[in-house]
Amino acid sequence: MSYYKSFNQVPGIFPYQPPAQPGPETNPEHHEHPNQDPNAERTRITGKSKNTLDTVKEIGSTQVPEVKSNIHCLTIVGQIEGHLVLPPQNKTTKYEHLIPQLVAIEQSPEIEGVLIILNTVGGDVEAGLAIAEMITSLSKPTVSVVLGGGHSIGVPIAVATDYSFIAETASMTIHPIRLNGLVIGVPQTYEYLDKMQDRVVRFVTHHSKISQDKFRELMFRTGELARDIGTVLIGQEAVDCGLIDETGGISKALEKLNCMMDERKHRNEGPLQ
Amino acid sequence: MILYTPMQLELVLAGLDQMDHSSDRKVTVNGVPAIVRKNSAGKEEIVQLLSTNPNDYLRGDLLPGTQIIPDCAN
Repeated sequence: MSYYKSFNQVPGIFPYQPPAQPGPETNPEHHEHPNQDPNAERTRITGKSKNTLDTVKEIGSTQVPEVKSNIHCLTIVGQIEGHLVLPPQNKTTKYEHLIPQLVAIEQSPEIEGVLIILNTVGGDVEAGLAIAEMITSLSKPTVSVVLGGGHSIGVPIAVATDYSFIAETASMTIHPIRLNGLVIGVPQTYEYLDKMQDRVVRFVTHHSKISQDKFRELMFRTGELARDIGTVLIGQEAVDCGLIDETGGISKALEKLNCMMDERKHRNEGPLQ
Repeated sequence: MILYTPMQLELVLAGLDQMDHSSDRKVTVNGVPAIVRKNSAGKEEIVQLLSTNPNDYLRGDLLPGTQIIPDCAN
């Protein structure tokens, strides 16, 4: 120690003498910052690191860490486009893209469950039924959520999953298949349309708890729709008539899907021999 | 072909007769054959994939409507 002439030369040692001897009976003096109002509410600023802020400024988004999810989310929006290519003002979901996607989902070992989010105004009968049939025949657990609307051909897609949810405010329109396109006014045309309608009715009643009579009654009810006969079911109403299993949003749907995925895993593992 | 929708058909089908598919061409995008079409902005976008590999349909860079730079025209 004698080597050093003063405290300044001693690295790491700060010459500090406490004003009072520390003890249980001494209360330490509290020094407020002179410019700070002691009664003012203090805010603590926590923020993102500079790096993240820079990316937000430059590219408008932050880098999301890539975590592979074990569920696949299919969104079906707008018109379901089928055999006819619709004009560009329509927002469409293309069935020729969805169907191989469902094949890939079935095949992929990473995907363990499928969440289907619906906000559709209907579309092609054949394309809609094709998607619905593909969803039903998936071996992996599937859950659907109707947000906004799941009208017309959206109804069979919504009920095609193992379990279905509808948002409180979402609506589903059930109405008869109308005549459109080239219509020949002969009895066969009506018979043909009736058959098309039967396909939808049969699919829906087979995959949900609604009875055929009830579904047909909703379909042909008069006085509810301005331009058509039929019914609009909103949220709980769809659950009450047995079409949809439960009202709820994403959290409930994901919870249910995870539960079903766990069940499936346990079943596949089988009992230990 | 039956459209089953509560939307007015006139609205859905408006402009159907003015649709122009003459710019459609078959190209390879990121190694996958696809049909592309020029949109109103003059950029080409994917209309349909022609691949038979289902995993191509899960790729985010090949979704219909994605603007593309084709590998080469065939």
